[in-house]
Amino acid sequence: MSVAQTPEPPKFDSPTGASPSPLFGATPFTQQMFRFEEFGAQPYEPSECTTCGPMPAAPDCQSGPSGDALDHYLDEPMSPPPTVMANEDLPNAWHTRIEQCVRPLATSAIEGRPGGENFAHQRYEEFFPSMYFKTITAGARINGGVRDEYQRHGYAKGEFGPNGLYYNTIGTEGFDGTTAKIPVKFHPLMPEQDPLAFWTFDGTFPPKLLMARYGHPILFRHYNALPIDPGANYGFGLHTITTHEHNGHNPAESDGYTQSFFFPGQYFDYHWPMILAGHDHINIDASDPRAATIDDNGNVRRIRGDWRETMSTHWFHDHMLDFTAPNVYKGQVAMMNYYSAVDRGNEAIDCHYADPENPNNMNLCFPSGSASAWGNRDYDVNLMVSDKAWDQDGQLFFNIFNLDGFLGDRMTVNYQYKPYLEVRARRYRFRILNASVSRYFKIALIDQNGNRVPHHMIANDGNVMEHAVPFPNAESADLPTQAIAERYDIIVDFSQFQPGDKLYMVNLLEHRDGRRPKEAIPLPEVVLNQYCDGPPDFAAADACDTVVGRFLEFRVVAYTGVDTSMNPADYVEGKKKMIPLPSFTAEELANAKHRSFTFGRSSGTDTSPWTIKTDGGQGFGMDPARLSAAPDEGTAEIWHIKNASGSAHPVHIHFEEGQILKRNGKPPPIWEKWARKDVYRIGPMPDSGDSVEVALRFREFLGTYMEHCHNTTHEDHAMLLRWDIEKPGQLKIMPTPMPTWEGVGYLDTYTLPTYKTGDVDEDDDGVTDDLDNCREYINPNQRDTDGDGYGNWCDPDYDNNGIVNFGDFNRFVRAWGSANPDIDLNDDGIINFGDFVVFAHYFYRPPGPGAKQ
Amino acid sequence: MTGFNVMREGWRTAAAGLFVAVAAAITLGGSPAEGVSKGSRWRAEYFPNVPLVTQDGEVVHFYDDLIKDKVVAINFMFTSCNDVCPAETARLKQVQRELGDRVGQDVFMYSISIDPENDTPEVLKRYSEKFKVGPGWLFLTGKAEDIALLQRKLGLFIADLPDPDDHNVNLIVGNEATGRWMKRSPFDDPKVLAEVIGSWLHNWKVPNKSLAGKYEKAPSFPRLSRGEYLFRTRCVSCHALGSDGPLGPDLLGVTEERDPVWLARWLKEPDQMLAEKDSIALELFARYDELPMPNLSLNDVDVAALIDYLASASRDVDSENTSAGP
Repeated sequence: MSVAQTPEPPKFDSPTGASPSPLFGATPFTQQMFRFEEFGAQPYEPSECTTCGPMPAAPDCQSGPSGDALDHYLDEPMSPPPTVMANEDLPNAWHTRIEQCVRPLATSAIEGRPGGENFAHQRYEEFFPSMYFKTITAGARINGGVRDEYQRHGYAKGEFGPNGLYYNTIGTEGFDGTTAKIPVKFHPLMPEQDPLAFWTFDGTFPPKLLMARYGHPILFRHYNALPIDPGANYGFGLHTITTHEHNGHNPAESDGYTQSFFFPGQYFDYHWPMILAGHDHINIDASDPRAATIDDNGNVRRIRGDWRETMSTHWFHDHMLDFTAPNVYKGQVAMMNYYSAVDRGNEAIDCHYADPENPNNMNLCFPSGSASAWGNRDYDVNLMVSDKAWDQDGQLFFNIFNLDGFLGDRMTVNYQYKPYLEVRARRYRFRILNASVSRYFKIALIDQNGNRVPHHMIANDGNVMEHAVPFPNAESADLPTQAIAERYDIIVDFSQFQPGDKLYMVNLLEHRDGRRPKEAIPLPEVVLNQYCDGPPDFAAADACDTVVGRFLEFRVVAYTGVDTSMNPADYVEGKKKMIPLPSFTAEELANAKHRSFTFGRSSGTDTSPWTIKTDGGQGFGMDPARLSAAPDEGTAEIWHIKNASGSAHPVHIHFEEGQILKRNGKPPPIWEKWARKDVYRIGPMPDSGDSVEVALRFREFLGTYMEHCHNTTHEDHAMLLRWDIEKPGQLKIMPTPMPTWEGVGYLDTYTLPTYKTGDVDEDDDGVTDDLDNCREYINPNQRDTDGDGYGNWCDPDYDNNGIVNFGDFNRFVRAWGSANPDIDLNDDGIINFGDFVVFAHYFYRPPGPGAKQ
Repeated sequence: MTGFNVMREGWRTAAAGLFVAVAAAITLGGSPAEGVSKGSRWRAEYFPNVPLVTQDGEVVHFYDDLIKDKVVAINFMFTSCNDVCPAETARLKQVQRELGDRVGQDVFMYSISIDPENDTPEVLKRYSEKFKVGPGWLFLTGKAEDIALLQRKLGLFIADLPDPDDHNVNLIVGNEATGRWMKRSPFDDPKVLAEVIGSWLHNWKVPNKSLAGKYEKAPSFPRLSRGEYLFRTRCVSCHALGSDGPLGPDLLGVTEERDPVWLARWLKEPDQMLAEKDSIALELFARYDELPMPNLSLNDVDVAALIDYLASASRDVDSENTSAGP
């Protein structure tokens, strides 16, 4: 038997662990880009459906129900109706089939949410669902057009209507006003994806979009129709899933905690209250006109909370423990647009620029459209950018044994290989999401001559900034490095171009491997085809990074309408404001708890798996039963994120948006200065650096959230930790769910010592306050002879009667001059005046203070 | 390969495949054979079939004999490692104890030496005896380049490592047939690891047994001090309080018995003290079957916390015993 030779690692490890992905004759910019298909949430009316049944059963152990069966089920109302606590009364819809494939089950549950109070929908009555939508995560299949009727534009209005650019959904005959018959293919010339190779919401293309409004809480019913056999996965991905809305202000039980996953046959109800952060603390009488939502008639309804926390561009995706990278890569991604009175997807009503002083003019009027009162997407385009790879049969490929980071070698936008998009000669808004596993982008916008086209960034990580930032600017020519999960919203003005002109989005950032980016290639080199931008099937496939280069083409078309959208140049620094930053008072910052999280390979050395070291302790990988931090609800903290490796880590903190106080010890760049973010890049790129200081608040909800590196390969192995928000004084620690085919059991949770108080050390003796048995004196050895929790330095109460008095004084005097360690208050080996001073301080006082609980 | 070899190969594979399918059908009680995934490329064509030698001197091939169609837990170590490997092995031994006699039947544990020059089968055998390892857990050695290849293939190899003694302290567990592989830490809670290896990776064909149960029974848990946390994750695999530990001495009263300065240093750098031939270190080493106290890379605060915990825990055990009456 011959021994395999260790292969020379390629210069470019892309695709990681495989040969170049074949193109089947596809060339760049030959297919029309998908516009996202809306889920089309509907108003929620609680009701019992007497004719509805459970999800159709799987035909066998390796597949899910047919497309027709799924479409039919999607059309039906929710059944059984949503319940506050998980529905464990009915069995798993696939109970019988599971028993045939796995083993007899003593019991099973129709809903995969953990049972009991801990995972009950918090404040459900208060935020009673106003809208709902269903989806079924399933293997790739042909779209049946079941969501056509739920599109807000109805394929009748604006650019989605019969004379519009986006009426035909893929640009070939037979697809006017419908997505029916769209197959799952990365390009028309490429093969259809096997149902085991690609798993996504509904199982269909185009990718899906949720349009959500503040003040309209959502009930999201998510079904799992993936194969019962975990091996039926084309080599990667796991059939148990959990969905995280990035970065919703959602209660913990609906945040997609990595350990609360659910099984094929089940559903999981997610409750997204759609409230503004600060709901319980700021503007609680809902009197601020800018904290508001809109209805279908264009009427504004005020809501509670801090309007400066309004969010705009989100996404939701799988978050399965240990399998997030393959699952997200495999297709479990959707985007979510948040609409509010301020960012309402209408460019004609109540525009702020028309009358900035008028409180009724709060609509920022970003490029969108005007046919509907809200949610127009004519000129507001979602772009999901990610690198993919496929095998020689054209089926999606992923390397499960690469633990540094996976790179694909083909760039896709909205799951399509290098598409084009027709655009009117006017302003557009693009919501750009990096949905890769491990790849970072640096995106430039150029015209057909290779010259940079100026544009403005208006939102960072989906949050509209205080001021728009023009590009190019003094700090950067192009958009900043964009890490996995970062979202940049930009406005581009095509009005200066002629019909027939073309523009391109170009990626400049080269990677050699999945650990971090290598460097940005200068734009002229890329544009003049000196780098890699040649014909697709070049021979020297290992000589360049094929994901550097042009990846999206814009084709300008004449515009005869009137563009009433805002001009971002009027909102740059020094001019009008968009959404001002919620400020932290000096007092809040001074009193904030500090925590530090160091990302690296275990305890800051490059020898062990990806870990997070919390508050200077040991570096750990993920253990879902370990609780690493527990801020109190209603407080503010400062989290220090540090890099201890030579790699790059985009650190994501769930639930709250934060403000970067410092990057590398200095004020942040202009596109972060005005921004609220939820992904904090650390790493070697010039605009990243090795440390970030973030200020955060923790409000409204309690329970378990996560913080992790969003290079999902790192995350899976295992740069992920759990933090909980607790009620001040909460004693019971949230148990850890352990889902199985038979329902969810619970494990013990244990905590890290610093989880409650961060790394504050009042007396600076090296022992943090939560452990320091004598918090006012420097006693690193923590000696506590009588074991009463008060270190000797703080404990002249020798008779343990709770107060230092003459009984104790007697003992002290009798021990004078001796070396009695139990009486020795300052631990210097002798009882003398040094100890007398301490004793005197405590006379007629109780011992302490001990550890801060 | 000549045509004849190819044909032989083909027949062998086909026969093996048939056998596996039939065996699977029988063991699964007639249900469809699970796990051979369409498009799975993480099987024979991915894993090298390198020869390895067990602690009993038996030659085995990595793919065919050790992992094919099996649920496995694999870690890389070396016997002269005096920092974390002994703790790792002791921890895995706890996992073995949880899994009982399933190890060797439907769950397989393998520790592969990255120092094959020194770790001969005899040395590995001695090592496994020191840890009183149960049957079914193999300690393996082989050619250095073969083992490096395995590390790479399993994603446990870090390029450009300056110190050859540094290695990826890690465990990889997997179900080869279904292609499901996860990297875990040997310092994971042994009950959880046993659950993952024994239940989860079998698609829960084997019912789980160590869960606390439904929400109503979920235990509320007191806060752990830093010292107790360290004790539970690092010490408990070898030591106990109030009785002899599985592999090391009883720690009840150790803070009284030992000189505090000695104890603090022992917790911090026992390997150094043994090398310096400290008399107590030597005595312990001989008494406990030459199983060294590992250097757990604790810092001063950790050591202080651990000592405090040991002291107070000893007091608690004592008072329990005295209150229980003579």
